[in-house]
Amino acid sequence: MTSQASPFLHPGTVAQKDRLAIIHLKRDLQNPILLKATDEDDEGYAEGKVVNTRFGSFPHTKLIGLPWGSQVRAVKVDTGSRGRRQPKKRKLEASSEDPGHLEKIAKISEQESGRGDGVVKIESPASVDVGTLPKDDAEASPAATGFIHLLPPTPENWTSSLPHRTQVVYTPDYSYVLHRIRARPGTSIIEAGAGSGSFTHASARAVFSGYTKERYESTNGQSVRKHLGKVWSFEFHEQRHEKLQQELKDHGLEGLVEVTHRDVCEDGFLVDGKSPQADSIFLDLPAPWLALPHLARSKPKPNQIDLSAGEVKSEPDTCEAFVSPLNPHCPVHICTFSPCIEQVQRTMSAMRRLGWVDIEMVDLSQRRFEVRRDRIGIDNGNQHGVLSTPSSVDEAVARLKDVEGSFKAFHETGEKAEIRKRDRGNPNSKDKILESLVGRKIYKEGNLVHRAEQELKTHTSYLVFAVLPIEWSEEDEAQARQKWEEKIDLSVTQNPAVEAAVSGTMSKRQQKKAARQTEKDKRAATAVDAEAVVVEGDVASVPVVVSEKESTPGPSDTTMS
Amino acid sequence: MHIHTLVQPNSWIALRLPSDTLKVLQIVPNTAISIGKYGTFSSNSLLERPYNLTYELLDLQAGQKGSTLRVVPASELHADTIAEEDAAANPKNEDDKLIIGGDGVEYELVGENGEVIMRSNRETIDDGARQTLTMEEIEVLKREGTGAGKDLIAKLMLSHTALDQKTSFSLAKYKLLKTKKYLRRFTVLPLDVALLTEWYLNEKDGGKILEMRSELLGLAGCWANVHFSESLPDVEGGKWLVVDETGGLLVAAMAERMGILHPSEEQLQSVGKSSHHREEPAPATSNTITMIHNNAQPNLSLLKYFLYDPATSTPPCPDHPLTTHLHSLSWLQLISPTEDTTYSTAVEQLLPADLEALKPGKRGTYYRKLRRWNRTKSIVDSTRNGGFSGLAIASSMDPTSILKHAIPLLRGGANIAIYSPTIEPLVLLSDNYSTSRRTAFITSPPPSFASLTTEEDRDNWQGDEDFPLNPTLVLNASVQSARVKRWQVLPGRTHPIMTGKGGAEGYLFTAIRVIPARGKIEARGKFGKKRKVDDNVATPDETQSSVKKEKLDDGVVAQNIDELAQEINGGTETTPKTKTEGDIEMASPSP
Repeated sequence: MTSQASPFLHPGTVAQKDRLAIIHLKRDLQNPILLKATDEDDEGYAEGKVVNTRFGSFPHTKLIGLPWGSQVRAVKVDTGSRGRRQPKKRKLEASSEDPGHLEKIAKISEQESGRGDGVVKIESPASVDVGTLPKDDAEASPAATGFIHLLPPTPENWTSSLPHRTQVVYTPDYSYVLHRIRARPGTSIIEAGAGSGSFTHASARAVFSGYTKERYESTNGQSVRKHLGKVWSFEFHEQRHEKLQQELKDHGLEGLVEVTHRDVCEDGFLVDGKSPQADSIFLDLPAPWLALPHLARSKPKPNQIDLSAGEVKSEPDTCEAFVSPLNPHCPVHICTFSPCIEQVQRTMSAMRRLGWVDIEMVDLSQRRFEVRRDRIGIDNGNQHGVLSTPSSVDEAVARLKDVEGSFKAFHETGEKAEIRKRDRGNPNSKDKILESLVGRKIYKEGNLVHRAEQELKTHTSYLVFAVLPIEWSEEDEAQARQKWEEKIDLSVTQNPAVEAAVSGTMSKRQQKKAARQTEKDKRAATAVDAEAVVVEGDVASVPVVVSEKESTPGPSDTTMS
Repeated sequence: MHIHTLVQPNSWIALRLPSDTLKVLQIVPNTAISIGKYGTFSSNSLLERPYNLTYELLDLQAGQKGSTLRVVPASELHADTIAEEDAAANPKNEDDKLIIGGDGVEYELVGENGEVIMRSNRETIDDGARQTLTMEEIEVLKREGTGAGKDLIAKLMLSHTALDQKTSFSLAKYKLLKTKKYLRRFTVLPLDVALLTEWYLNEKDGGKILEMRSELLGLAGCWANVHFSESLPDVEGGKWLVVDETGGLLVAAMAERMGILHPSEEQLQSVGKSSHHREEPAPATSNTITMIHNNAQPNLSLLKYFLYDPATSTPPCPDHPLTTHLHSLSWLQLISPTEDTTYSTAVEQLLPADLEALKPGKRGTYYRKLRRWNRTKSIVDSTRNGGFSGLAIASSMDPTSILKHAIPLLRGGANIAIYSPTIEPLVLLSDNYSTSRRTAFITSPPPSFASLTTEEDRDNWQGDEDFPLNPTLVLNASVQSARVKRWQVLPGRTHPIMTGKGGAEGYLFTAIRVIPARGKIEARGKFGKKRKVDDNVATPDETQSSVKKEKLDDGVVAQNIDELAQEINGGTETTPKTKTEGDIEMASPSP
């Protein structure tokens, strides 16, 4: 049993029960569903749980066990008994039933019952006496028309199908943000303002490096200790928090994402008093500058907090020691997501005061393109999508001549030109279109062009990026300096062979030779003159102490050993 | 421990110089690092120090070969801007002091008589030759100047005859210009994929990485659904197929997303150690990248920055995760393995006795050959078996020709992302998957396809003139692009950066591999010319019933017909609205 695995991360090869699947109807129309072997809500379908779409009805039992990516035909589901109570009485065959309508009713009833949660659970308008149905009918037979594709969930198709609770962070934005804030397997990431959960899912995929510590102890037989990636999500809106939590549970991401109901600007980022040890941070908050003082390595000094912000409560010194929510051992990358320039300015000002560096702001524009064939020409039977203008001067002249000819004929003989249109029939009938597709191959006609899709997202938000280096004390520096004496060994730099060996472009024999040569050079250098100078400097801008020493090759200063 | 905690010996790092250029280098202990006119220092002063710190080169003392470094705290880096902000907040305290570098030393910019620096640009003279210091004088100052270039900058500014004519804006600009030129500072950065991309695009040959910007790299990774995915006891993990002609940048980006690019601290222990005579671990079976390359050997030259080099017999880091997780094979090995010498020439298994008889050198050669053959065979065979969970492509080859061979290797639901610096190849590719072409294909499949009986044969159908690719194997083909615009955000001077880099825009084709149902498949939807709804007060219900009448009694063989109708009617229709209920939309009167 796939107890722990999430369908987002380990979809496997087939759809499984109690796991999320995406029903693909058409582009930009995808429904997430939780596959159920049994109809717990008892919606009255003989087939058990059924998902109704514009393109037909699909019992869950028919979907479970299918390979991902399968095209699935709609089936006739028994709606006879259910249909009776529909608001608008219609006698319909399952095949011609308009599922869109059903869906709409379902949506309405969904809204009425106050359910707008992540998974589309289409409620039946009414349900009665299923028991009276003969058992045989419960076996669904394929409908004449309609199909869907069954897809494994990904953060991308989840983002385009999720129930909107707030503004959604779309794929172009989150893909760039996650790349820039170095969210990689093993990263601990803070996300504040979980909102609709699109970024939550994307970041869970980005940082995922195993579900439990035990499972991935060994790769290639070696025992590798792994830092497991985790998303620390914060949401201050209670309902949104609850819904997200339910979604994550349904999606098998519970252990990977920890959602906390919290106003981070007030109460910071510690979870149960413990530090998330974050390496990366994403803030989608109205006032990120209020949350920033909590994201420090040590308690910010009063002058580091923007006084004009005013709202930051200066905590009394008596309160407990400041616990940083950041990973003390690595640089922390942050991104804030704000729609307004004023927010950006305040955020960046706060960042400068709090010691963030490499502060940069960008905005990201995205375009999707429509690719199609532009067919221009007179002789196209007045079809839709065809400009009935001549495609060339020759065609225009031919038509003009044609017109002249019929004029002449009319004046000379009184004969009316035959209306050509009539014998063509409706050029947009199904048969005509199919005929032109198969016979004339109109999919190869016309100019192949592309243009931006009609709806452009011209501005989502401004992205502010910054880095907080680790704290580096005088003691740390002194220690490092002791280990790595400040020196330049000229024989090392001046011998290209050694550099080549280091970058691994030499054979072993060449390496040995080079090493021997280096040793020789070194000895010579030491004997003649102590060229290499060891300088002991101070980190702080204190005057530099210079001391000359003989460079004796010790264990720490040879590159190759 | 995190990979980019401290600067490790022999790792590749980047130094960001005041001129905003990057210097990429491998940090070898005990060597001199020269950053041109800014100075020289010992590599040891960066080892096991944190990343992202900014250093200042202190003035060179007599007899010193390299400068000593001083960490510049963030407060000093931002002192300028913070002072400016504070001044804006309390205008009366404003004075005409200039802070360069922000270490607290202030340089007076008030005239000797205390006259106020001018504030409008009406009198500025648009003339470059306003600097009274001669080149020679500047050179002397550069040599002898102190304060890491700060005093030089101050002198330059004071010697500018028209300084008092500058507005605060042009003053700031002038100072920035001089700071970039003379301030002896640099920042240490870890060389990761994002930085490598930036460096290659801005300073190296962008064409070598097909001008692939970070936006597109991130986007491609997401749309190909690349992520860490090792097999579980009960669920198989993921493996990705890649065609990469960016010198390994795409592979590096994917490997970074999969957690196999940066060696762990344990794995770094093997740096510089010989890999000879050690048991070569078997290729991994999940969380892997399989690369198909054009030449006999893959071009993965950029991976050397991550201490991985498949081309050498002495790998820089023998325990690198890519050693087991990156598999490569040539197109010949994929398509016609029997014609490939390495694959088809089996290494004869020697008996232990014969092996004993061989000279050690020969024995080594034998083992190496055997290993190589075993590896090639297992990679080629497993790749040809397919079952990949995603495909990413950045190649200058015709994408149609790639997909012809790659699509059958993908499992159902696999994600496809194809990058191209220009849109045209992707437009041509999308056209092969257009709804009308697919409909024609389903309605009347070409005889060469229809005669095939097995699923496998159908998947491997090589296309014909009308249908270069089987249009039913791919869903949701679409093309997109993304681009960031950088901004300068300073108090009172916020605007987008005014210059950028041209070149290729960069586009991404995305799609999903699907498994078509066998037999006749009929879509459901409304079709035909949309009747005008005369009584235009269409409530949803009425609209619906009017549409219903139009509905065809017998289904049409098409993928969701309304999509087709839309495409064919393309010239007069807008694209489908994403959020509206389709039915109502479809009933709208046609123009």
